[in-house]
Amino acid sequence: MDGVWWVFGVVAVVLLVATYLTWTAGRVDRLHARVDAAYGALDAHLVRRAAAAAALAGTLAGEAVSLAAAARLALDAPAGEREIAENDLTRQLRVLPLPLDHPALGEVVVASRRAALARQVHTDVVRDALAVRRRKVVRLLRLARKHPMPTYFDVDDPALDAHRRVVA
Amino acid sequence: MRIGIVCPYSFDVPGGVQYHVRDLAEVLVGLGHQVSVLAPAEDEDGLPAYVVSAGRAVPVRYNGSVARLSFGPISATRVRRWLAAGNFDVLHVHEPVTPSLSLLAVLAARGPVVATFHTAMTRSRVMAAAQGALQLVLEKITARIAVSELARRVQVEHLGGGAVEIPNGVAVAKFAGAQPLPGWPGTGGAVGFLGRFTEPRKGFPILLDAVARLAPSRPDLRLLVAGPGDPDLVDSPADLDGRVVMLGRVSEEDKARMLASVDVYVAPNTGGESFGMILTEAMAAGATVAASDLDAFRRVLDGAGALFPVGDAPTLARTLGDLLDDPARRTELADRARKVVAAYDWPVVARRVLEVYATAIEATTGRVTTDESTVPLD
Repeated sequence: MDGVWWVFGVVAVVLLVATYLTWTAGRVDRLHARVDAAYGALDAHLVRRAAAAAALAGTLAGEAVSLAAAARLALDAPAGEREIAENDLTRQLRVLPLPLDHPALGEVVVASRRAALARQVHTDVVRDALAVRRRKVVRLLRLARKHPMPTYFDVDDPALDAHRRVVA
Repeated sequence: MRIGIVCPYSFDVPGGVQYHVRDLAEVLVGLGHQVSVLAPAEDEDGLPAYVVSAGRAVPVRYNGSVARLSFGPISATRVRRWLAAGNFDVLHVHEPVTPSLSLLAVLAARGPVVATFHTAMTRSRVMAAAQGALQLVLEKITARIAVSELARRVQVEHLGGGAVEIPNGVAVAKFAGAQPLPGWPGTGGAVGFLGRFTEPRKGFPILLDAVARLAPSRPDLRLLVAGPGDPDLVDSPADLDGRVVMLGRVSEEDKARMLASVDVYVAPNTGGESFGMILTEAMAAGATVAASDLDAFRRVLDGAGALFPVGDAPTLARTLGDLLDDPARRTELADRARKVVAAYDWPVVARRVLEVYATAIEATTGRVTTDESTVPLD
Protein backbone atom coordinates (compact mmCIF):
# COMPACT_ATOMS: atom_id res chain seq x y z
CA MET A 1 0.00 0.00 0.00
CA ASP A 2 2.77 2.39 1.05
CA GLY A 3 4.43 1.92 -2.32
CA VAL A 4 1.34 3.11 -4.16
CA TRP A 5 1.21 6.35 -2.14
CA TRP A 6 4.88 6.84 -2.85
CA VAL A 7 4.18 6.59 -6.54
CA PHE A 8 1.23 8.96 -6.28
CA GLY A 9 3.32 11.48 -4.37
CA VAL A 10 6.19 11.36 -6.82
CA VAL A 11 3.82 11.65 -9.80
CA ALA A 12 2.08 14.65 -8.19
CA VAL A 13 5.38 16.43 -7.52
CA VAL A 14 6.66 15.68 -11.01
CA LEU A 15 3.41 16.99 -12.49
CA LEU A 16 3.59 20.18 -10.45
CA VAL A 17 7.23 20.79 -11.36
CA ALA A 18 6.53 20.07 -15.02
CA THR A 19 3.56 22.44 -15.05
CA TYR A 20 5.63 25.14 -13.42
CA LEU A 21 8.50 24.69 -15.88
CA THR A 22 6.19 24.66 -18.90
CA TRP A 23 4.50 27.78 -17.63
CA THR A 24 7.83 29.52 -16.98
CA ALA A 25 9.11 28.55 -20.43
CA GLY A 26 5.91 29.99 -21.92
CA ARG A 27 6.39 33.15 -19.92
CA VAL A 28 9.95 33.51 -21.23
CA ASP A 29 8.80 32.92 -24.82
CA ARG A 30 5.93 35.38 -24.56
CA LEU A 31 8.11 38.14 -23.15
CA HIS A 32 10.68 37.69 -25.92
CA ALA A 33 7.96 37.67 -28.57
CA ARG A 34 6.69 40.93 -27.11
CA VAL A 35 10.20 42.42 -27.22
CA ASP A 36 10.29 41.65 -30.95
CA ALA A 37 6.82 43.07 -31.58
CA ALA A 38 7.59 46.20 -29.56
CA TYR A 39 10.85 46.72 -31.45
CA GLY A 40 9.01 46.32 -34.75
CA ALA A 41 6.55 49.03 -33.75
CA LEU A 42 9.30 51.37 -32.54
CA ASP A 43 11.28 50.81 -35.74
CA ALA A 44 8.21 51.59 -37.88
CA HIS A 45 7.52 54.87 -36.08
CA LEU A 46 11.15 55.97 -36.24
CA VAL A 47 11.23 55.27 -39.99
CA ARG A 48 7.98 57.16 -40.36
CA ARG A 49 9.42 60.07 -38.41
CA ALA A 50 12.60 60.18 -40.50
CA ALA A 51 10.57 60.03 -43.73
CA ALA A 52 8.35 62.87 -42.50
CA ALA A 53 11.43 64.87 -41.50
CA ALA A 54 12.97 64.34 -44.94
CA ALA A 55 9.74 65.48 -46.61
CA LEU A 56 9.64 68.51 -44.32
CA ALA A 57 13.25 69.37 -45.12
CA GLY A 58 12.30 69.26 -48.82
CA THR A 59 9.62 71.89 -48.33
CA LEU A 60 11.78 74.16 -46.19
CA ALA A 61 14.57 74.47 -48.80
CA GLY A 62 17.87 76.13 -48.05
CA GLU A 63 17.64 76.41 -44.27
CA ALA A 64 17.06 72.70 -43.72
CA VAL A 65 20.22 71.11 -45.12
CA SER A 66 21.23 69.67 -41.77
CA LEU A 67 17.71 68.35 -41.15
CA ALA A 68 17.69 66.61 -44.52
CA ALA A 69 21.10 65.09 -43.76
CA ALA A 70 20.00 63.93 -40.30
CA ALA A 71 16.85 62.35 -41.70
CA ARG A 72 18.86 60.57 -44.40
CA LEU A 73 21.38 59.29 -41.84
CA ALA A 74 18.60 58.03 -39.56
CA LEU A 75 17.08 56.10 -42.43
CA ASP A 76 20.41 54.61 -43.59
CA ALA A 77 22.21 54.06 -40.28
CA PRO A 78 23.52 50.52 -39.71
CA ALA A 79 22.38 48.75 -36.53
CA GLY A 80 25.20 49.97 -34.28
CA GLU A 81 24.86 53.62 -35.26
CA ARG A 82 21.10 53.91 -35.40
CA GLU A 83 20.69 55.33 -31.89
CA ILE A 84 23.17 58.15 -32.46
CA ALA A 85 21.53 58.99 -35.79
CA GLU A 86 18.04 59.04 -34.24
CA ASN A 87 19.22 61.28 -31.39
CA ASP A 88 20.76 63.61 -33.91
CA LEU A 89 17.48 63.78 -35.81
CA THR A 90 15.61 64.54 -32.56
CA ARG A 91 18.01 67.41 -31.89
CA GLN A 92 17.59 68.78 -35.41
CA LEU A 93 13.81 68.66 -35.08
CA ARG A 94 13.90 70.39 -31.70
CA VAL A 95 15.84 73.39 -33.02
CA LEU A 96 13.57 73.96 -36.01
CA PRO A 97 12.50 77.60 -36.05
CA LEU A 98 8.83 76.65 -36.37
CA PRO A 99 6.10 76.54 -33.72
CA LEU A 100 4.93 73.00 -32.93
CA ASP A 101 1.42 73.68 -34.19
CA HIS A 102 2.71 74.79 -37.60
CA PRO A 103 0.82 72.76 -40.24
CA ALA A 104 4.03 71.67 -41.99
CA LEU A 105 5.13 69.95 -38.77
CA GLY A 106 1.95 67.90 -38.34
CA GLU A 107 3.24 64.52 -39.50
CA VAL A 108 6.62 64.96 -37.79
CA VAL A 109 5.00 65.84 -34.44
CA VAL A 110 2.60 62.90 -34.57
CA ALA A 111 5.30 60.43 -35.64
CA SER A 112 7.60 61.72 -32.89
CA ARG A 113 4.90 61.31 -30.28
CA ARG A 114 4.12 57.79 -31.43
CA ALA A 115 7.82 56.95 -31.48
CA ALA A 116 8.08 58.20 -27.90
CA LEU A 117 5.20 55.94 -26.80
CA ALA A 118 6.66 52.98 -28.67
CA ARG A 119 10.05 53.60 -27.07
CA GLN A 120 8.49 53.57 -23.60
CA VAL A 121 6.66 50.30 -24.28
CA HIS A 122 9.80 48.71 -25.75
CA THR A 123 11.95 49.77 -22.80
CA ASP A 124 9.42 48.34 -20.32
CA VAL A 125 9.18 44.96 -22.01
CA VAL A 126 12.96 44.70 -22.43
CA ARG A 127 13.32 45.31 -18.70
CA ASP A 128 10.73 42.62 -17.95
CA ALA A 129 12.38 40.14 -20.33
CA LEU A 130 15.81 40.76 -18.80
CA ALA A 131 14.28 40.30 -15.33
CA VAL A 132 12.78 36.93 -16.24
CA ARG A 133 16.11 35.84 -17.78
CA ARG A 134 17.78 36.52 -14.43
CA ARG A 135 15.52 34.09 -12.60
CA LYS A 136 17.38 31.09 -11.21
CA VAL A 137 15.23 28.44 -12.83
CA VAL A 138 15.50 30.17 -16.22
CA ARG A 139 19.29 30.38 -16.02
CA LEU A 140 19.71 26.88 -14.63
CA LEU A 141 17.60 25.20 -17.31
CA ARG A 142 18.63 27.72 -19.97
CA LEU A 143 14.99 28.33 -20.84
CA ALA A 144 15.91 31.50 -22.75
CA ARG A 145 18.62 29.87 -24.86
CA LYS A 146 16.73 30.08 -28.14
CA HIS A 147 16.17 33.83 -27.76
CA PRO A 148 18.87 36.43 -28.30
CA MET A 149 19.52 38.71 -25.31
CA PRO A 150 17.08 41.64 -25.56
CA THR A 151 18.73 45.05 -25.69
CA TYR A 152 17.47 48.50 -24.84
CA PHE A 153 17.11 50.95 -27.68
CA ASP A 154 18.93 53.75 -25.97
CA VAL A 155 17.69 57.06 -27.39
CA ASP A 156 16.51 60.33 -25.89
CA ASP A 157 12.77 60.87 -25.63
CA PRO A 158 11.87 61.73 -29.23
CA ALA A 159 8.64 63.54 -28.28
CA LEU A 160 8.75 67.14 -29.48
CA ASP A 161 5.85 68.28 -27.33
CA ALA A 162 7.04 66.52 -24.18
CA HIS A 163 7.39 69.86 -22.47
CA ARG A 164 3.98 71.35 -22.42
CA ARG A 165 3.55 74.32 -24.66
CA VAL A 166 3.01 77.61 -22.91
CA VAL A 167 -0.21 79.10 -24.17
CA ALA A 168 -0.25 82.76 -24.99
CA MET B 1 -12.18 49.67 -31.61
CA ARG B 2 -13.50 47.23 -29.00
CA ILE B 3 -12.29 48.46 -25.63
CA GLY B 4 -12.64 46.68 -22.29
CA ILE B 5 -12.15 48.87 -19.22
CA VAL B 6 -11.90 47.58 -15.65
CA CYS B 7 -12.78 49.85 -12.75
CA PRO B 8 -11.73 48.43 -9.35
CA TYR B 9 -14.17 50.51 -7.29
CA SER B 10 -17.92 50.24 -7.09
CA PHE B 11 -19.90 52.54 -9.35
CA ASP B 12 -22.45 53.06 -6.56
CA VAL B 13 -19.94 55.03 -4.52
CA PRO B 14 -18.67 58.43 -5.68
CA GLY B 15 -14.93 58.63 -6.25
CA GLY B 16 -12.27 60.06 -8.51
CA VAL B 17 -11.37 56.80 -10.26
CA GLN B 18 -15.03 55.94 -10.94
CA TYR B 19 -15.72 59.39 -12.43
CA HIS B 20 -12.60 59.09 -14.52
CA VAL B 21 -13.64 55.69 -15.88
CA ARG B 22 -17.20 56.87 -16.53
CA ASP B 23 -16.13 60.04 -18.36
CA LEU B 24 -13.49 58.22 -20.38
CA ALA B 25 -15.94 55.48 -21.37
CA GLU B 26 -18.57 58.02 -22.42
CA VAL B 27 -16.14 60.05 -24.51
CA LEU B 28 -14.83 56.89 -26.19
CA VAL B 29 -18.39 55.79 -26.97
CA GLY B 30 -18.98 59.28 -28.36
CA LEU B 31 -15.95 58.85 -30.62
CA GLY B 32 -17.56 55.72 -32.05
CA HIS B 33 -15.79 52.98 -30.08
CA GLN B 34 -17.42 49.97 -28.48
CA VAL B 35 -16.76 50.12 -24.77
CA SER B 36 -17.54 47.70 -21.98
CA VAL B 37 -16.72 48.62 -18.39
CA LEU B 38 -16.42 45.88 -15.78
CA ALA B 39 -16.96 47.20 -12.26
CA PRO B 40 -18.29 45.99 -8.93
CA ALA B 41 -21.84 47.17 -8.33
CA GLU B 42 -24.28 46.65 -5.51
CA ASP B 43 -27.35 47.21 -7.60
CA GLU B 44 -27.40 46.35 -11.28
CA ASP B 45 -30.34 48.62 -12.08
CA GLY B 46 -29.47 52.18 -12.84
CA LEU B 47 -26.02 51.35 -14.15
CA PRO B 48 -25.05 52.95 -17.47
CA ALA B 49 -25.59 50.59 -20.43
CA TYR B 50 -21.86 50.08 -21.00
CA VAL B 51 -21.22 48.81 -17.45
CA VAL B 52 -21.10 45.10 -16.68
CA SER B 53 -21.45 44.29 -13.00
CA ALA B 54 -18.89 41.99 -11.42
CA GLY B 55 -21.05 41.51 -8.34
CA ARG B 56 -21.03 43.33 -5.07
CA ALA B 57 -17.91 44.74 -3.53
CA VAL B 58 -16.72 44.10 -0.02
CA PRO B 59 -15.04 46.73 2.11
CA VAL B 60 -11.34 45.97 2.51
CA ARG B 61 -8.87 47.85 4.66
CA TYR B 62 -5.91 48.73 2.49
CA ASN B 63 -3.12 51.27 2.78
CA GLY B 64 -4.80 53.06 5.66
CA SER B 65 -8.20 53.51 4.08
CA VAL B 66 -11.24 51.40 3.33
CA ALA B 67 -11.76 50.45 -0.28
CA ARG B 68 -14.74 48.59 -1.65
CA LEU B 69 -13.32 45.85 -3.79
CA SER B 70 -14.25 42.65 -5.53
CA PHE B 71 -11.64 39.97 -5.14
CA GLY B 72 -11.79 36.22 -5.00
CA PRO B 73 -12.62 33.15 -7.07
CA ILE B 74 -16.14 34.29 -8.01
CA SER B 75 -14.87 37.64 -9.21
CA ALA B 76 -12.07 35.88 -11.07
CA THR B 77 -14.59 33.72 -12.93
CA ARG B 78 -16.66 36.75 -13.89
CA VAL B 79 -13.56 38.55 -15.12
CA ARG B 80 -12.65 35.59 -17.33
CA ARG B 81 -16.17 35.32 -18.69
CA TRP B 82 -16.26 39.04 -19.44
CA LEU B 83 -12.88 38.88 -21.18
CA ALA B 84 -13.87 35.85 -23.24
CA ALA B 85 -17.18 37.40 -24.31
CA GLY B 86 -15.73 40.85 -24.99
CA ASN B 87 -13.22 39.93 -27.71
CA PHE B 88 -11.50 43.25 -27.00
CA ASP B 89 -8.83 44.91 -29.11
CA VAL B 90 -7.38 46.38 -25.95
CA LEU B 91 -7.88 45.95 -22.22
CA HIS B 92 -7.56 49.07 -20.05
CA VAL B 93 -7.31 48.50 -16.29
CA HIS B 94 -7.23 51.13 -13.56
CA GLU B 95 -5.13 50.84 -10.39
CA PRO B 96 -3.98 47.29 -11.13
CA VAL B 97 -1.57 46.75 -8.24
CA THR B 98 -4.15 46.74 -5.47
CA PRO B 99 -6.01 43.47 -4.87
CA SER B 100 -8.96 44.17 -7.12
CA LEU B 101 -10.87 43.31 -10.27
CA SER B 102 -8.17 45.14 -12.21
CA LEU B 103 -5.48 42.85 -10.88
CA LEU B 104 -7.60 39.79 -11.64
CA ALA B 105 -8.17 41.06 -15.17
CA VAL B 106 -4.45 41.62 -15.77
CA LEU B 107 -3.64 38.12 -14.56
CA ALA B 108 -6.42 36.59 -16.64
CA ALA B 109 -5.65 38.41 -19.88
CA ARG B 110 -3.13 38.06 -22.62
CA GLY B 111 -2.60 40.63 -25.34
CA PRO B 112 -2.56 44.43 -25.36
CA VAL B 113 -3.07 45.65 -21.78
CA VAL B 114 -2.97 49.31 -20.80
CA ALA B 115 -2.92 50.30 -17.13
CA THR B 116 -3.63 53.67 -15.56
CA PHE B 117 -2.13 54.51 -12.17
CA HIS B 118 -4.10 57.18 -10.33
CA THR B 119 -2.73 57.44 -6.83
CA ALA B 120 0.75 58.46 -6.00
CA MET B 121 0.91 55.65 -3.49
CA THR B 122 4.28 54.44 -2.44
CA ARG B 123 5.04 50.80 -2.32
CA SER B 124 3.02 49.24 0.44
CA ARG B 125 4.17 46.41 2.61
CA VAL B 126 1.84 44.02 0.83
CA MET B 127 3.50 44.82 -2.44
CA ALA B 128 7.02 44.61 -1.06
CA ALA B 129 6.26 41.20 0.42
CA ALA B 130 5.06 39.89 -2.90
CA GLN B 131 7.71 41.21 -5.27
CA GLY B 132 7.57 38.10 -7.45
CA ALA B 133 3.79 38.26 -7.75
CA LEU B 134 3.95 41.99 -8.44
CA GLN B 135 6.40 41.40 -11.27
CA LEU B 136 3.92 38.87 -12.73
CA VAL B 137 1.28 41.59 -12.86
CA LEU B 138 3.54 44.34 -14.14
CA GLU B 139 5.08 42.30 -16.93
CA LYS B 140 1.65 41.60 -18.39
CA ILE B 141 0.98 45.30 -18.79
CA THR B 142 1.98 46.55 -22.22
CA ALA B 143 1.73 50.30 -21.62
CA ARG B 144 1.36 52.30 -18.44
CA ILE B 145 -0.30 55.67 -17.94
CA ALA B 146 0.16 57.88 -14.89
CA VAL B 147 -2.32 60.70 -14.30
CA SER B 148 0.22 63.01 -12.72
CA GLU B 149 3.93 63.66 -12.57
CA LEU B 150 3.89 62.41 -8.97
CA ALA B 151 2.15 59.15 -9.93
CA ARG B 152 4.65 58.75 -12.75
CA ARG B 153 7.57 59.26 -10.39
CA VAL B 154 6.19 56.58 -8.07
CA GLN B 155 6.05 54.26 -11.07
CA VAL B 156 9.67 54.87 -11.93
CA GLU B 157 11.00 54.73 -8.39
CA HIS B 158 8.91 52.00 -6.80
CA LEU B 159 7.56 49.76 -9.50
CA GLY B 160 10.40 50.05 -11.98
CA GLY B 161 9.56 51.06 -15.48
CA GLY B 162 8.20 54.21 -16.93
CA ALA B 163 4.77 55.54 -17.67
CA VAL B 164 3.25 58.01 -20.04
CA GLU B 165 1.82 61.00 -18.23
CA ILE B 166 -1.73 61.73 -19.35
CA PRO B 167 -3.66 63.97 -16.97
CA ASN B 168 -7.15 63.45 -15.64
CA GLY B 169 -9.71 64.82 -18.04
CA VAL B 170 -12.35 67.37 -17.20
CA ALA B 171 -15.67 67.77 -18.99
CA VAL B 172 -15.04 71.41 -19.85
CA ALA B 173 -18.41 71.94 -21.57
CA LYS B 174 -20.29 70.75 -18.48
CA PHE B 175 -18.50 73.29 -16.27
CA ALA B 176 -18.25 76.17 -18.73
CA GLY B 177 -22.01 76.36 -19.20
CA ALA B 178 -22.91 76.35 -15.50
CA GLN B 179 -25.13 79.14 -14.16
CA PRO B 180 -24.22 80.82 -10.84
CA LEU B 181 -26.45 80.00 -7.87
CA PRO B 182 -29.17 82.63 -7.26
CA GLY B 183 -27.77 85.68 -5.50
CA TRP B 184 -24.13 84.87 -6.21
CA PRO B 185 -21.47 86.16 -6.54
CA GLY B 186 -22.97 89.47 -5.42
CA THR B 187 -21.13 92.76 -5.31
CA GLY B 188 -19.22 92.49 -2.05
CA GLY B 189 -16.88 89.73 -3.18
CA ALA B 190 -17.36 85.97 -3.04
CA VAL B 191 -14.70 83.39 -2.29
CA GLY B 192 -15.21 79.64 -2.76
CA PHE B 193 -13.87 76.41 -1.31
CA LEU B 194 -14.78 72.84 -2.20
CA GLY B 195 -13.74 69.67 -0.42
CA ARG B 196 -13.64 67.94 2.94
CA PHE B 197 -13.15 71.04 5.06
CA THR B 198 -12.54 68.98 8.21
CA GLU B 199 -9.52 67.26 6.67
CA PRO B 200 -6.38 69.16 7.76
CA ARG B 201 -4.47 68.74 4.49
CA LYS B 202 -7.24 70.53 2.61
CA GLY B 203 -6.19 73.65 4.50
CA PHE B 204 -9.65 75.11 5.11
CA PRO B 205 -8.63 76.87 8.39
CA ILE B 206 -6.00 78.81 6.42
CA LEU B 207 -8.72 80.16 4.14
CA LEU B 208 -10.97 80.98 7.12
CA ASP B 209 -8.11 82.87 8.74
CA ALA B 210 -7.46 84.82 5.55
CA VAL B 211 -11.13 85.68 5.09
CA ALA B 212 -11.34 86.79 8.74
CA ARG B 213 -8.45 89.17 8.09
CA LEU B 214 -10.32 90.70 5.15
CA ALA B 215 -13.72 90.78 6.86
CA PRO B 216 -13.41 94.04 8.86
CA SER B 217 -12.66 96.13 5.76
CA ARG B 218 -15.11 94.27 3.49
CA PRO B 219 -18.55 94.13 5.06
CA ASP B 220 -20.17 92.16 2.25
CA LEU B 221 -17.45 89.59 1.58
CA ARG B 222 -18.85 86.03 1.67
CA LEU B 223 -17.39 82.55 1.64
CA LEU B 224 -19.18 79.73 -0.21
CA VAL B 225 -18.23 76.23 0.93
CA ALA B 226 -19.25 72.90 -0.58
CA GLY B 227 -18.20 69.47 0.59
CA PRO B 228 -19.08 66.70 3.01
CA GLY B 229 -18.45 67.23 6.69
CA ASP B 230 -20.03 68.51 9.88
CA PRO B 231 -20.04 72.35 9.85
CA ASP B 232 -20.11 72.35 13.67
CA LEU B 233 -16.62 70.92 13.67
CA VAL B 234 -15.33 74.02 11.93
CA ASP B 235 -13.83 76.46 14.36
CA SER B 236 -15.06 79.60 12.65
CA PRO B 237 -13.94 83.02 13.94
CA ALA B 238 -16.84 84.94 15.49
CA ASP B 239 -16.62 87.91 13.12
CA LEU B 240 -17.46 85.60 10.19
CA ASP B 241 -20.97 84.96 11.50
CA GLY B 242 -23.42 84.84 8.64
CA ARG B 243 -20.71 85.19 6.02
CA VAL B 244 -19.89 81.53 5.54
CA VAL B 245 -22.46 79.64 3.47
CA MET B 246 -22.20 75.86 3.71
CA LEU B 247 -23.80 73.86 0.91
CA GLY B 248 -22.85 70.45 2.26
CA ARG B 249 -22.20 67.64 -0.20
CA VAL B 250 -23.19 68.77 -3.69
CA SER B 251 -24.14 66.97 -6.89
CA GLU B 252 -21.78 67.32 -9.83
CA GLU B 253 -24.14 69.78 -11.44
CA ASP B 254 -24.24 71.94 -8.33
CA LYS B 255 -20.49 71.69 -8.05
CA ALA B 256 -20.21 73.37 -11.45
CA ARG B 257 -22.77 76.01 -10.42
CA MET B 258 -20.96 76.58 -7.14
CA LEU B 259 -17.67 77.17 -8.99
CA ALA B 260 -19.41 79.63 -11.30
CA SER B 261 -20.78 81.49 -8.27
CA VAL B 262 -17.56 82.85 -6.80
CA ASP B 263 -15.13 85.60 -7.77
CA VAL B 264 -12.13 83.65 -6.56
CA TYR B 265 -11.83 79.92 -5.95
CA VAL B 266 -9.25 79.06 -3.31
CA ALA B 267 -7.32 75.79 -2.97
CA PRO B 268 -5.40 76.23 0.30
CA ASN B 269 -4.21 72.58 0.45
CA THR B 270 -1.13 71.89 2.49
CA GLY B 271 0.00 68.78 0.61
CA GLY B 272 -0.94 65.30 -0.46
CA GLU B 273 -2.34 66.38 -3.80
CA SER B 274 -0.96 64.50 -6.75
CA PHE B 275 -2.94 66.19 -9.47
CA GLY B 276 -5.42 68.89 -8.48
CA MET B 277 -8.57 67.80 -10.28
CA ILE B 278 -10.59 70.52 -8.55
CA LEU B 279 -8.37 73.19 -10.10
CA THR B 280 -9.09 72.02 -13.64
CA GLU B 281 -12.79 72.03 -12.77
CA ALA B 282 -12.61 75.54 -11.35
CA MET B 283 -10.66 76.68 -14.42
CA ALA B 284 -13.26 75.09 -16.70
CA ALA B 285 -16.04 76.86 -14.80
CA GLY B 286 -14.31 80.17 -15.48
CA ALA B 287 -13.38 80.90 -11.87
CA THR B 288 -10.26 82.83 -10.96
CA VAL B 289 -8.06 80.50 -8.94
CA ALA B 290 -5.81 81.20 -5.96
CA ALA B 291 -3.92 78.08 -4.88
CA SER B 292 -1.15 77.13 -2.49
CA ASP B 293 2.18 76.88 -4.19
CA LEU B 294 2.30 73.07 -4.37
CA ASP B 295 4.19 71.35 -7.17
CA ALA B 296 1.05 69.69 -8.52
CA PHE B 297 -0.97 72.92 -8.44
CA ARG B 298 1.75 74.99 -10.09
CA ARG B 299 1.96 72.49 -12.94
CA VAL B 300 -1.79 72.36 -13.52
CA LEU B 301 -2.33 76.13 -13.31
CA ASP B 302 0.58 76.91 -15.62
CA GLY B 303 0.38 80.61 -14.77
CA ALA B 304 -3.42 80.80 -15.00
CA GLY B 305 -3.99 81.57 -11.33
CA ALA B 306 -2.46 83.21 -8.29
CA LEU B 307 -0.17 81.15 -6.06
CA PHE B 308 0.56 81.81 -2.41
CA PRO B 309 3.04 80.12 -0.03
CA VAL B 310 1.63 76.92 1.52
CA GLY B 311 -0.12 77.63 4.86
CA ASP B 312 0.46 81.39 4.70
CA ALA B 313 -2.87 83.01 5.66
CA PRO B 314 -1.64 86.65 5.69
CA THR B 315 -0.29 86.34 2.14
CA LEU B 316 -3.48 84.59 1.03
CA ALA B 317 -5.50 87.45 2.51
CA ARG B 318 -3.39 89.96 0.58
CA THR B 319 -3.68 87.91 -2.63
CA LEU B 320 -7.46 87.65 -2.23
CA GLY B 321 -7.79 91.36 -1.51
CA ASP B 322 -5.79 92.26 -4.61
CA LEU B 323 -7.81 89.90 -6.82
CA LEU B 324 -11.16 91.08 -5.46
CA ASP B 325 -10.21 94.71 -6.13
CA ASP B 326 -8.98 94.04 -9.65
CA PRO B 327 -11.71 92.66 -11.94
CA ALA B 328 -9.48 93.15 -14.99
CA ARG B 329 -6.80 90.92 -13.48
CA ARG B 330 -9.44 88.30 -12.61
CA THR B 331 -10.73 88.29 -16.18
CA GLU B 332 -7.20 88.01 -17.50
CA LEU B 333 -6.45 85.00 -15.28
CA ALA B 334 -9.79 83.35 -16.08
CA ASP B 335 -9.19 83.80 -19.83
CA ARG B 336 -5.80 82.24 -19.55
CA ALA B 337 -7.30 79.44 -17.44
CA ARG B 338 -9.76 78.64 -20.21
CA LYS B 339 -6.86 78.20 -22.64
CA VAL B 340 -4.82 76.11 -20.23
CA VAL B 341 -7.75 73.86 -19.35
CA ALA B 342 -8.41 73.08 -23.01
CA ALA B 343 -5.52 70.60 -22.79
CA TYR B 344 -7.45 68.77 -20.04
CA ASP B 345 -10.74 68.59 -21.91
CA TRP B 346 -11.92 64.97 -22.07
CA PRO B 347 -12.01 64.65 -25.85
CA VAL B 348 -8.38 65.86 -26.00
CA VAL B 349 -7.31 63.55 -23.18
CA ALA B 350 -9.23 60.59 -24.66
CA ARG B 351 -7.41 60.98 -27.97
CA ARG B 352 -4.10 60.74 -26.14
CA VAL B 353 -5.35 57.59 -24.39
CA LEU B 354 -6.35 56.18 -27.79
CA GLU B 355 -2.79 56.73 -29.01
CA VAL B 356 -1.56 54.66 -26.09
CA TYR B 357 -4.10 51.95 -27.03
CA ALA B 358 -2.77 51.97 -30.58
CA THR B 359 0.80 51.72 -29.29
CA ALA B 360 -0.10 48.78 -27.05
CA ILE B 361 -1.87 46.99 -29.89
CA GLU B 362 1.10 47.43 -32.22
CA ALA B 363 3.51 46.20 -29.59
CA THR B 364 1.69 42.91 -29.04
CA THR B 365 0.29 40.30 -31.32
CA GLY B 366 -3.42 39.66 -31.51
CA ARG B 367 -6.42 40.71 -29.47
CA VAL B 368 -7.09 40.37 -25.78
CA THR B 369 -7.67 36.73 -24.86
CA THR B 370 -7.94 34.87 -21.62
CA ASP B 371 -4.67 33.43 -20.48
CA GLU B 372 -5.26 29.76 -19.73
CA SER B 373 -1.73 29.17 -18.57
CA THR B 374 -1.77 31.35 -15.49
CA VAL B 375 -0.14 29.38 -12.71
CA PRO B 376 1.13 32.02 -10.29
CA LEU B 377 3.08 29.59 -8.17
CA ASP B 378 5.80 31.96 -7.09
